[in-house]
Amino acid sequence: MNTVTAEPLPRPTAAESVRSHWRHYPRFLMRLVWEAFDGNWKFYVWMTFLTCVALVGANAWATQVRDGMGLTHMSDHVSWGLYIANFTFLVGLAAGGVMMVIPAYIYHDEEMHKIVIIGELLAIASIVMCLLFVVADLGRPDRFWHLLPGLGRFNFPFSMLTWDVIVLNGYLILNLHICGYLLYMRFRGKSPNRKWYIPFVFISIVWAISIHTVTAFLYCGLGGRPFWNTALLAPRFLASAFVSGPAFIIVAIYAIRAAIGGNFGAGAVKTLLNIMRITILINLLMVISEVFTEFYTGGSHTSSARYLYFGLHGYNALVPWIWSSIGMVILAAAILLCPKVLDRPVMLIAACVLAFAGIWIEKGMGLIIPGFIPSTLHELVEYQPSLLEWKVTAGIWAAGLGIYTIALKVAINVFKVQRSETDV
Amino acid sequence: MNTETAPLESRDWTRRDALKGIGATLGVAAFAKALAPLTEWTQDLSVDQFLQKHYKELSPMDLAIVLARLEKETKEQYGADVSIKDYKAQPGVKFGYALNLSICIGCRKCAEACHIENNHDRPSAQSYIRVFEMQKGSLDMEKGNAHYDHPVPQKDKFYMPVQCHHCDHPPCVSVCPVEATWKEPDGIVVVDYNWCIGCRYCEAACPYHARRFNWTKPQIPAEEINPDQSYLSNRIRPQGVMEKCTFCLHRTRNGKLPACLEACPTGARVFGNLLDPNSEIRKVLAEKRVFVLKEELGLKPNFFYFFDV
Amino acid sequence: MIAITTRKIAFVVSCLCFAAVLLAGVRDHVAAPSDAPSQTIISNAPLHPVIIRPGPETPRILTTQTNYAGEIARASCSSCHTTTTPNRNTASSAQLLKFHQGMTYAHGNQSCLNCHNETDYDSLRLANGSSLPYADVMKLCGQCHGPQLRDYEMGLHGGMNGYWDRTRGPRTRNNCVDCHDPHNPAYPVVQPVLPPKDRIAVPRKSEHGSVKLCEKTAASICNVLSSLHPTLFA
Repeated sequence: MNTVTAEPLPRPTAAESVRSHWRHYPRFLMRLVWEAFDGNWKFYVWMTFLTCVALVGANAWATQVRDGMGLTHMSDHVSWGLYIANFTFLVGLAAGGVMMVIPAYIYHDEEMHKIVIIGELLAIASIVMCLLFVVADLGRPDRFWHLLPGLGRFNFPFSMLTWDVIVLNGYLILNLHICGYLLYMRFRGKSPNRKWYIPFVFISIVWAISIHTVTAFLYCGLGGRPFWNTALLAPRFLASAFVSGPAFIIVAIYAIRAAIGGNFGAGAVKTLLNIMRITILINLLMVISEVFTEFYTGGSHTSSARYLYFGLHGYNALVPWIWSSIGMVILAAAILLCPKVLDRPVMLIAACVLAFAGIWIEKGMGLIIPGFIPSTLHELVEYQPSLLEWKVTAGIWAAGLGIYTIALKVAINVFKVQRSETDV
Repeated sequence: MNTETAPLESRDWTRRDALKGIGATLGVAAFAKALAPLTEWTQDLSVDQFLQKHYKELSPMDLAIVLARLEKETKEQYGADVSIKDYKAQPGVKFGYALNLSICIGCRKCAEACHIENNHDRPSAQSYIRVFEMQKGSLDMEKGNAHYDHPVPQKDKFYMPVQCHHCDHPPCVSVCPVEATWKEPDGIVVVDYNWCIGCRYCEAACPYHARRFNWTKPQIPAEEINPDQSYLSNRIRPQGVMEKCTFCLHRTRNGKLPACLEACPTGARVFGNLLDPNSEIRKVLAEKRVFVLKEELGLKPNFFYFFDV
Repeated sequence: MIAITTRKIAFVVSCLCFAAVLLAGVRDHVAAPSDAPSQTIISNAPLHPVIIRPGPETPRILTTQTNYAGEIARASCSSCHTTTTPNRNTASSAQLLKFHQGMTYAHGNQSCLNCHNETDYDSLRLANGSSLPYADVMKLCGQCHGPQLRDYEMGLHGGMNGYWDRTRGPRTRNNCVDCHDPHNPAYPVVQPVLPPKDRIAVPRKSEHGSVKLCEKTAASICNVLSSLHPTLFA
């Protein structure tokens, strides 16, 4: 971001500076909107597709609000389902972006620094999706204002959910500020003032860890659910987040490369791959530790794990999910650990997709759902998402990908000093 | 400051822009259509309902208005004339409940009484009480079964009804992000059905499966509605909010026994004031070998189990 | 720049410490109202009565005759029993050739005359030989069932109705024989009501692994409700 240095200008007075912002900031926003709705045919096809999926999701959600959450397959036994599973995963994805920020800002990895905004924008898109999933999971979205400090009654610091509201929104604001500031400065052709973003970048690094830790605390703080009640949960969440985040970013980098050509982000991919090589192994180690503790100890506290991995009393809806997940992650690890994977983008992308999907299952169907099965009174009520839940989920993902696409496009185009007509 | 590119206003309007305009219009129309169910949903909602304050912030005047509005809504939506009151906790009272597992025969009359007394949704056969058929010689809930459907009691079984334990350290209360549920001075854990946002964190936190969610708008024929209702207990709940056992506070705060106790044909249930040394519940604690479920969680339930022998 | 960052870190750390302390106090804070119970108020208000449902009336047997009013005449037990010789060895109606046929008897290994009074068949007999009106049957039961009587007296045995708080209203309690047939006292086996549903209209695996549908029909519920008895001891 500091690749372009502006000529030293005479320092404007404060009043002048404020006036110029009043003039330029709306134009900057206009430019963003313009970029969002302008592009080549590929962009239109992609965005139209995402919009359609998002609309299907919106319609499904509106129906759910009208007729009640009985349309989902959640129950009083499995009271959280696909929505909260996705929420948990996406918090990890948001935190995963920090794996670009740390090398870029702490270790001054120039290659990474050039494209670090990809990770920061991913954080924004992921957090937006998280918030959408939380809203989709609320029985009374009309009462959302009860959560607003000042207006409603915010049960802070007792409820971990209030901590989560704070850290997620804080992270969103931090990243909006960092990305927005850098883009605005670039839009105005000015060199960004380090004072206005470097401290926030460092806060955001700590904050990224905190969002996933607090999200893990949501679950591991519940004494009535032994499957979640483990101190390993937060570290496990972070380890898997640092697999899924870089995996997504690598795929995104290759997608951008396909769109704009060149050797975009080659150095960054290498660093991210090295990070994934470590984190995917740590993640597997943690899964193995968890599995050992559960099965070697035995007893009724481990019935969720038995249900998840092998089925219990003839109930085994989650068994295919978790073994696919384990298979995917192991396969991804094997591919990633190959020394020559960098030379074979197809293999690398396949490994990233496998790791991403594997972690998605592991954190959702493999972690949130079995926490409820068997129930606290050891009743076995199974859960498979309903069609409506899949629609809403797809809709939110489409909305998130749409936001991410637009954000990337805006960022790339604003960052390019020379803008050509063939840009995506 | 002067390196900005492609200022919007300098471009001419083209066919491409017109197409974009049409696309955007279509998009907005599709969006409105997709969200149309929300319009139908809001027909049952009122502005007063939307803006209603938390129970603890309502002045006596506010509360009277709210209660009148709720009665009116019940009349409109369910066709029943009901009276919704607000009963406050009595000083010097802390409620406790005990259940004699030697006597319970598992007939589920308590669950049924709860269903009727508390105006539960009829199609889902909802009740705050779940009765488990347990293997004699084991308190392992994994060997329990709530879906038994044969004459009771069976010889090798005992029966364990479970409902809200009204813990002294209720995890459901701690986790609620909006303080929609709290512990009253008489020990009853209540929910403000008009404040709950329906996140179901409390349902995940409760280790006794005591909480229920209104997955749909409760269905109940007008003639079956129990008209003696109170704000914090058995009034008909809105869709999308949590509910739970309130020890029938509309009865017990008026000195009456809870509905599940009255329905129990075998007298397995004992209810009373834990602060009164002469109460029946205190005699259970003094005379019987009492245990609580999941004591190791440290939640200090006020619901006790005992065996006679 | 470094100074600012250090100060910020210090601020964040102190915030976290503060939060930790707050969290440590969560449980006690939440439970405060109940952990410190307000003073016990022992009311001096007059207590409403505990009404124990009356014991049985002295039995009368229906005869084939009618009285002057045209009603079926009813005879006291002693009408017949004064003409027969009591047999101490009879322990069940099954041992009789006529009378009392078809009565289930399952109440330990006892003679009829342990409870029925051989000198006055219109009353009961305590273990010490004294006579006891039928209405006071609880005393008879209590002779053998001491722990149950003790529990009953403490309010820990037997169904009840009315008020837990007797400063506000009366309470009605069951008599032994409301729930226990004296000749066959084990509580009868019944079919449970209101089967639970896990979800509305979702296929649920039965215990045997096959899939059955939890029917959504309101009809089943209506059946359950219409079969309800408003009485206590249905």
